[in-house]
Order: sequence, then structure tokens, then C-alpha cells
Amino acid sequence: MTASATPHLLLDGIDEPGLNTLPVYARRGGYEVMKDALRRPQDGIVEELKQSGLRGRGGAGFPLGMKASFIPAGDIDKYLVCNADESEPGTFKDREIMQKCPHRLIEGMIIAAYTVGANKAFIFIRGEYMHQADVLEAAVEEAKAAGYLGNDILGSGFNLDLWVHRGAGAYICGEETGLLDSLEGKRGNPRLKPPFPANQGLYQGPTLINNVETLSTIPVILGMGGEEYAKLGVERSSGTKLISVSGHVQRPGNYEIELGMKARDIIEGLAGGTTPGHRVKFWFPGGSSSPVLLEDDLDLTYDFDTMAKAGSMLGSGAIIVCDDTTSPVDVALKLATFYRHESCGKCTPCREGTNWTLRMLERVEAGLATPMDLDRIESVQNQIMGNCLCVLGDAMAMPVSSLVKKFRGEFEEHLEKKRASEDFMLGFDPAAGGHVDTPIRVVA
Amino acid sequence: MPRPQRSPITFTIDGRDVVAPEGTMLADAAKVGDVEIPVFCYEPKLGAPVGACRMCLVEVEGIPKLQTACSTPVKDGMVVNTTAPKVKAAQESVLEFLLVNHPLDCPVCDKGGECPLQDISYGWGRGLSRVAEPKRHFTKPLELSPLIAIDRERCILCYRCVRFSQEVAEDHQLVFLERGADTYVGTFDSHPYVAPFSGNIIELCPVGALTSRPYRFRARPWDIEGGGTVCTLCPGQCNVTHTVRDERVLRTLSRENDAVDDGWLCDKGRFSYQAATAPERLQQPLVRDADGNLQPASWDDALDRAASILRASGERTAAIAGGRTLNEEGYLLQRLLRDQLSSPHLESRIAPGPSRELLAALHAPALQATVPDLEFAHHVLLLDIEPQEAAPILELRLRKGARRLGTKLSVAGPRPSALDPRAQHVLRYAPGGNEGFLKALAAALEGGDVSGPAAAAGIDAAAVSGLADTLKAAGEDRVILYSDALLSGPGADESARALLRIAAALSLSGEDGAGSGGAGLLGIPATTNGRGLREAGVLPDAGPGLRAVAHPGRDLPGIAEGLAGSELDALIALGVDPIADLQGRAAWRQALGASHLIAVSSFLTEGVAGYAAVVFPQEAPAEQEGTLTHPDGRVQRARPAVRRPDGIRSGWWVLAQLAARLGDRTTLHTAGMAFAELTAEVPFLAGLTLDEIGGKGVRWPTLAEAATWPKGTTDLEPQTDATVVPPANGALRLARQSSPWRIPEVAASKALRFLVPSADARLAPADAERLGITEGSPVALSVDGTEISATARLDSRIPAGTVVAQAGVPGGGADELGGAAAGGIGLVEVRSA
Repeated sequence: MTASATPHLLLDGIDEPGLNTLPVYARRGGYEVMKDALRRPQDGIVEELKQSGLRGRGGAGFPLGMKASFIPAGDIDKYLVCNADESEPGTFKDREIMQKCPHRLIEGMIIAAYTVGANKAFIFIRGEYMHQADVLEAAVEEAKAAGYLGNDILGSGFNLDLWVHRGAGAYICGEETGLLDSLEGKRGNPRLKPPFPANQGLYQGPTLINNVETLSTIPVILGMGGEEYAKLGVERSSGTKLISVSGHVQRPGNYEIELGMKARDIIEGLAGGTTPGHRVKFWFPGGSSSPVLLEDDLDLTYDFDTMAKAGSMLGSGAIIVCDDTTSPVDVALKLATFYRHESCGKCTPCREGTNWTLRMLERVEAGLATPMDLDRIESVQNQIMGNCLCVLGDAMAMPVSSLVKKFRGEFEEHLEKKRASEDFMLGFDPAAGGHVDTPIRVVA
Repeated sequence: MPRPQRSPITFTIDGRDVVAPEGTMLADAAKVGDVEIPVFCYEPKLGAPVGACRMCLVEVEGIPKLQTACSTPVKDGMVVNTTAPKVKAAQESVLEFLLVNHPLDCPVCDKGGECPLQDISYGWGRGLSRVAEPKRHFTKPLELSPLIAIDRERCILCYRCVRFSQEVAEDHQLVFLERGADTYVGTFDSHPYVAPFSGNIIELCPVGALTSRPYRFRARPWDIEGGGTVCTLCPGQCNVTHTVRDERVLRTLSRENDAVDDGWLCDKGRFSYQAATAPERLQQPLVRDADGNLQPASWDDALDRAASILRASGERTAAIAGGRTLNEEGYLLQRLLRDQLSSPHLESRIAPGPSRELLAALHAPALQATVPDLEFAHHVLLLDIEPQEAAPILELRLRKGARRLGTKLSVAGPRPSALDPRAQHVLRYAPGGNEGFLKALAAALEGGDVSGPAAAAGIDAAAVSGLADTLKAAGEDRVILYSDALLSGPGADESARALLRIAAALSLSGEDGAGSGGAGLLGIPATTNGRGLREAGVLPDAGPGLRAVAHPGRDLPGIAEGLAGSELDALIALGVDPIADLQGRAAWRQALGASHLIAVSSFLTEGVAGYAAVVFPQEAPAEQEGTLTHPDGRVQRARPAVRRPDGIRSGWWVLAQLAARLGDRTTLHTAGMAFAELTAEVPFLAGLTLDEIGGKGVRWPTLAEAATWPKGTTDLEPQTDATVVPPANGALRLARQSSPWRIPEVAASKALRFLVPSADARLAPADAERLGITEGSPVALSVDGTEISATARLDSRIPAGTVVAQAGVPGGGADELGGAAAGGIGLVEVRSA
């Protein structure tokens, strides 16, 4: 399969000027699918979504149709939430969708809300996406004015209110239950599951929560038919997927690919490969939280199952390429710094594990560690994995552990080199811990 | 609401088959099979599990990932492994993580020796530390509040204290600040965490991060013993364990009793133990000498002196029993008065209340609601009661029901309540409008005329009808929680009749005679053992067992009047200071000035110091031995946790000695003998033994003997029109607020002293504007020439025309205002001072 054979569904005409406005979107056939959907029985839509085989594009890859079918029927307050808190390092696909084609997201949300019987919908958008939030808000106003949102939409009797809610800048709010808590006005901490959002989500009501790309794909699926959509891609990884390629490639950016394409064709074909004279040293197939793969793995096909089988994951579809100039020690340190900063602190292994890992990696970086410390780092990652309340802890442990495992030699080499260097221990403060203090009054 | 019924199921844990109720969380169910699963964040009392600490990870067959036992309900046939290598590794991992930043300063930590983190580290930890990195540091210890010290380095961020503040006490003060490894517990803006139930977080803390400031460095776990008893400071009667070292109470902990306190305590109960060792506490008898000064005296001299006063006054003696008086003491007091002195002038309430027949009807076993009923009810109606003042612990129970089970609340009374935001209906009538309001509600339920009585109470008839409609439509488990104040004053009988009609209209009476149908009335007396004293016969018109007496005695105003005149000569005040504790201070000053006062007291309060001829020192709560009766009929045992100081004797002993000196032939040698006499006299307690009461108490309304409860009146027709609350006409109607912190034990406890209420007068912003009063400005309140000063507080929750003045403040506050205002219906002039 070659890059040119990939059908463009989500990125079709994405750069057309004014596509973010309703007239242009409508001219390209926008909202027609929604109009049709509002006349269809809900279970028919669920069935079609199931047929499409679409797996959630946010990272976990849970089948959309199945998730929608979990929402209980009945006359209760139900909610639809769009997870637009795209914060995973390396991931920037949702940003492009929201900025350039916000109406397809809104259309998808109207259909999704209608399908599960939700009358209130929220787009929880990452706080840093200020421009995209402005674009979305404007689009929501347009949709309202056109009668696509509000009461009795196009005479269907279906009501839907949609709000754009800006996050306050926390990676953890991309975790669906943390997002819901934050949306409710609480500290954005993940909740214990079960109950899952489909049963008790926002304000304890059944909630369908999906990623921007997933919801944007709904009009595409219904437009072409679920069965037709399922023909794209490979088994258990149907359809097309937006891939954000970044790092040491010549043409970084978003690409729409048909799942099942060879990774090499993405990295070296679409993204132009590394700069001449350099080789791919390792790459993250699904965002910074996926275990790294090596150059040999480039011939794997890029789909959910193959990535999992290779010991990594497709995640959000963000490929980060690191060429042979990259030090795995630096990358591990960066990752640990990020995840320690973003850990919410609710559960023990993540809160303490990310912190401890960072402290150990700082010692490694400074050359103040021994190979035994590398064992310790690996063991601590194993202690984090699978023991946390949500997946944030694993999101650090998996890539860090894969780096230490796959580049053990380089880590040890770094220690030796650092120890031998002239600036050994220069500027390292062994007492630097996390000093936080707000005195109320010291007890006499 | 139906209580959860759980059928037993069988599951397997570590190879053993265990039978446990279905749906129980694994962490609890495991205990049935003698398997301990370590937990830190899990505490069922705090509500739904959060799964934050990850300590309880176990292997459940069929599920690939380890599961948190705290949040996994057991199912039939479930197979659980808590010792698999994978589980062991997870437990060691979590513990290692928890200790990464923990200072391990156990030798100097108050928690050392009774610390779950210590115990679990020994039991499940690896025993080695691999941490070479610096730990995080905080300035420590800090004062989280005057009562609680926080050591953030020791904190393992288990969430318990924050959840308590947010989801149990709902004071919403404690929060997590920062995030990740920088997270710490504190209050927003670092203000001190001062709240009525704050002390519970000390007990909840599974490490030494939150410690009691009064207890800090006072003892180690191997120095101390526990003494279980009942807190006798309010009618809530929470079960407590006193921590005792060298015959001194150094700490008070909760002794969980689901039927009473749900395992919580208020700060008054938790910290006022200090009053027992306060220097101002009386430690020996005092007798007033010829010069009018109280002088220390021997027990014999003091008893002789008291006996001679009583011998002289004879039937012209009156007696009032205060709140901490136990059942046995109440019984002996009424026997002393009725048998030795032939006087019927007895009272145990702080204001005149309904007559005997009405009390019998109100407290009929079939009509009694229990404390757990408050939680499981469909609807709870609060009538003129602020739980935080009357019995603080009940507030937590009401909040629990409302939060977790959706129990609906409605609040009616003249003052705002802390539970208003939780209430479906908030009805505010004019102070003194109890009778009118009750009659209006009764009429609304029965389909009678609502507008007349509603107008008399100064409330909108539509609001009353709305409440009635809600109550009618609510499920059958309806509970009415009311205070003594609802049924006191001149209209007490009429109010009681109306309340009984309301109860009848809502069919609150249980068929089984135990009130376990979940509906009923729950009356909270103004004093701790109010109910027990009534049942022991400390009433002017009822003997032990609430039986009728031939010659009823005077009510409180009558006693004051009699003492001031020449009809009565002497007063026995058992654990009560008429001036400080009863209404109408001026009248009581006059009464005591003209008579002989024999007081039993812990402190030299105004009436005792100024007027008593003889003062017997009273036992501290932790020294008392005997029984007391909870407002829902639960007879509980007070058991001494510490020895009495040398100069102090038991209340029952003092009364027995006085009776003997006045010719009583029976001899009592123990409190248990006094209890036996009480049960012999009170038919519905017949045969009850101290062993049966045990540590958790026995609700006598559930016993077969409850059938002997005297029949109450059935004639509930109103006999008069509702007393009309006078129009304010520019003045304000006075409502009293009685702070839970007003008791002398609080003032005498060093740690709690900062909570002694100040003289506040709260009024509606509209009234304040009209009177030219601003927030925080000094005001003067006057009635019939008596004037008090107070600080104005503007409160939009108070209806126009009402001023709520703080009672029980140093110097008197609202208590000083006598005249008509003493009875509750009165107008007060408020002006800027």
C-alpha cells in the first residue's frame, strides 16, 4: 500500500479557506448526514457504528459502537462529552480538526448525542488551545443560529445544548474521569472505575465521552455507510487514522492514513524520513507514553494489534521519531519530568513513582548513579505498571522502562562518561527535593 | 427507606471458604475469614471507596489486573488470593512508595505504636529501603487549627481528612493543594481549620500527620489505657473511649456505635476532657460561713449542713436536676424530695414543657424514631432544632442520609440552620410562633384552616401547605426531629397536641411498637439526660416511669416565684446553675437571694458562687458511673474511666447520704444498687441489668416491658386559638441562639476556650439598614428595661423583624433579657450603641 492510495476522509479539503465557517462546510455537504441521521432510529445508528469497527481515536482504542450501546436507555439526564484535552506530547491531530473543520466535530456530536439520547453536550478543550476554542465557539454559535443546536432541532423533537469548556491546563484532565471531575468544577482527579462514565459519568448521569477525531469520524461513517467504512484498514483496525508525525523527520505534520500501512511508509514516505545521513534510532508509535520501538520495527504494519504485539501501542497515533543523535538518557529524563509534573497525586504508585523515577534519572544524568540504579529504575517502573488508579503512571513507566531496557548499554556508557568528565557533580544539589511550603503558623 | 438487605454468599479467600453478606467490599469481607487486607485510604464511614492508596490490591480469579479490595464487592463463588507473588509484589511496591517521602521519625511521633503505617509496614513491607534520594521537606509541625497540628512530611496523602471535610462534615475547608508529588493537605488561603467536627480527622489519619495539639507528647501508646464510656455533655450521648494515663484523661476517642454516633465525635466531646483537670474545678465541698463566704468543709460538715437546711424547709423544698444527672441520681433526687421531704416541686427541663399525659403520648414506644431512622428516612422534618446546637452528632447523620441515600430534609423554625442548604423546604416563622406553626401544619395535613394559625405564627400559609403536600407525598418513613424548645413555654400543651396530630396525620406510629418501621418522632431534650430524668420521675407532675402523682408540683417559673416569695425555702440544684442555665435570670437572682441553695457543681458559676449555702463538687463526665437514656430511648452506661479525685464523691452517694440524714432507712453502697432500685420502680425498665446494657446500650422501647409505658392522652383537639405573635412594630422579635460551646466545660478546657461564643446579635440586612446598624458594630438590646450589649452581625438568612441573640456568653447575653422575652415571645428594642 502506498501513501497516495490513502483515501482522505477527515483531511479532505481541510485547507480550504473558510472551512471553519458554516457556509463553506455546508457547501461541501456538511450537516447533510446529521439531517438524515435525525430521521433514523437510534439503534440503527448504533448498529452502523458497530459495523464500522471504529475504535476510539483518543488512545485506548475502545470500539465506539460498543461504548455507545452501553449508555442505558430511558428518560434520564444523559450527557455527551467530547474530550478535546489533547495534551499527549507529540499529539496535535485534534487541534487541526478543531481549528480547520470544527463543524464536522459539531455534526458528529449532534449525531452522537441523538444516538444515545443526551441533551447536553460539552467540548472540554485543552486550555492552551485558545485559538481553537475561539474557532469552536464561533462554530457553535453558527450551528445554533442555523437551528442545528437548541430545542427541537430541525423539527426532529430532539434538543441539544452544547458548551465549549476550556480546561485549566492539566494533562490528567485528558483522562476521561479526571476530565469529568474537572468539568464538574472539582479538582481534576481520575475516579475509581467502575462505575464507568457510560453508567455514572458527568453529574452521576450516563455519559458518552469520546475523542475529537472519533466524534468527527461519525458523519464520515454514516455518510459512506458503516460496512463501507469497515472495508478500509485492516481487521480490528478499520478506517483511516490521523497520524501526527514529529521529531527527527523532514516533513512533520498530520497525515491521514489507512490503518495497516507500513510504519516505514509513514515515517520515511509521508514524513520524508530523517535528515540524510542519519538513521532512525527509536520511535514512539503512539505518543510519548508508548514504549519505544526500534529501527527494525519500521517494517511492522501500523495498526492497533500489530503495535500491541510489538510490545507498544498505537495510542493516539502520534509518531515521534528520534534519530541517532538522540540520547535515550535525555529522553527518559524529559519524559519523567513531564509525567512527574502532570501526576495528579491521588494514587500512590504514580505520585511517588514518577517523583522517585525523576530523582533517580537526575542522578543518572549527573553521573551520580551506578548500574545498580538502572536496575532500580527498571524495578520501580515495574512497580508502577498495573498498580495505579489510572494510566498516567503507566504512561511514564512504559516508555522509561523500554528506554532503559533497550538502551541499557548507552545508559551505562553515559554514567561512565559523566563520571570521567570535568564538570562531574558541577551544579548538582543533592538536597534539592520538592520543597513546598505554606506556613499557617508553626506550633509553639 | 428500606434498609439494605444482604443475603450471605460464599467466596474463597486464600483457599478458605468464607460466608459474607453479598456486596460487602472485599476488604471488609476478608475479615470474616480472618484474612487481613491492608488499607490506608479505605474507610467505609467516609462513603464510597476512592481506591487512591492502592494498598489493598488483591488477585481475583478471572480478572487479569490486580483489583483494589476496598472497591470490589464480593460475589458468590469469587476466588481471591491475597498472598500470590504478584499481590505480595504490589503490596511491597505500594509500601515502598509510601515511605519514599515519609520521614520515619516514629520514635518522636505521637502516632508511633498505634500507627497503621507502622503496622502495615511491619506486616507487609519489604523491610529494606532502596531510596537514596532526598525526601521532600516542609516546615513542621504547623498549626492546622488551635486543636490540630499538621506534619506534612508524615502525610501519605490518603485523602481521608479531605474526604471527611468535603463529604462527611461538609464544611468544605480541607483541600489538596498543588498536585502530584507536591500535593499537600491544607485549607484554602491557609486559614485555620475550625469546624465543629474537625477533631475527627485526627482519628482518621492513618499516620502521624494530624495530631491532637492538647495530646501532643503527653503519652505513648504503652503508657495508656482506654476507658469506654458515654459522653455526657449533650443529648447526642456519643460513645467514647478516654485515653487514660496515671488516672488522668489525656485524650478522648470515638467508640463507634452505629446506633448512636456512627463513629464520629464533635470537638466539644473530644477536647473538653481538659475541664476535669482545670484549676477552677471544685475539688471539695464548700459551706457558706457566717460572713457569707464559701469555705472549704469536710464532707460530713457539708452533708450535715445541707441536711439541716432541708430538714427545716421540708415540703417547702424544690429541686432541679441538670443535664449531666444520671438516671440513678434523678431517681434518688425525686425520692428524696417526694419521700423524705414530701415536696412535689421537681423539674429537669430548662423551661416548662408539656404535661405528663402529653409527654406519655409523645414518647410512646410505637412513636419513637431512632437515630439510624434519620439516615434511612424518606423525609426528615426538623422543627425548631439546630442539630449543631442540640446534639451535634445528629447533623452528621442527617448529612449522611441526605448525601448518600437521598433522604430529603425540611427545616422549620425561627432561626437559620446549618442544614438549610440541604433542605427541600426551609420555613421560617416568627420567634414564639411554634404553636401557630404546628397548628397550621396540622391543619394543612388534616385539611383544616391553615391561614389563621399561620398568620398567628407570622408565616405564609402557602409555605406551610407546600410543606404538608411534600410530607404527604414523601414515602412512609417520615421522621420529625424536634427540640424541647418547640414544646416549651406557655403554649407547650397546645403545641404538643398539634405535634401529635401531625404525627397521626402522617401515620408515624409504628405497628410493632418499636418504632423500627423507620417513621416516628425524635425529640431532643435541652439537656444530656433529659429523657432519662423525665422517665426517672424528675418532673413536677410525674413520678418514676412517668406515673401520675397525686399532687403535682410547681413548674420552673412557679419554683422561682415560690423561692422569691415565702412559699418555698430551699432549692437543690443538681448539676445546674439556675442563673446560668435557665431562662429568666433576673427572676432567678431574686429567687436565690431569698432562699437556701444546695448545689452540686463542678464550677463556681454565678448562681453557685453567689448564692449557694452548700456546694458539693460534681464528678467530671469521665468519672461518672450509672446509666443515662438517649433521646431515642437507648439506655446507656456511663462507666468511670478514671478514679475520682480524693475530694469528690458520686452524685448518687451525696443524695443517699442526705436521704439517710433525713431518715431514709434504705442503704445504698454502689451505683449498681441505685440502678436496681430504679428498675424496680420503673415498669418498662423492669428486669433490665447493667450486663444487658453493656457497651452499646439497650433501647427499652424494643423490650417487651415497653408495653407498660403509660397511656398518653388521646384528646388532641386544640383547646385555644394559637397564640398570636405580636407585630413587631419597629421593634424586633427575639430568638435565642444557644451555641454548642456555651457549657462551662468548654470555657474550662484550655484547648477549647477559643470557641467560647461571643455576644452576637444577628439580624436581617433590611432591619439593620432601617436601624442604622452596620456589620460588626456594637448594638444594645433591651427588654423591659434590661439591656445587653452585643456585636451586630448581618445575616440575610434571618427574616426581617427577627433578631437572633447569642445565649450563654460570658456576661449573660440573651439570657439576661427577662420579661416576656424569657418565654420566647417577646419584642426587643435594638439600637446602635
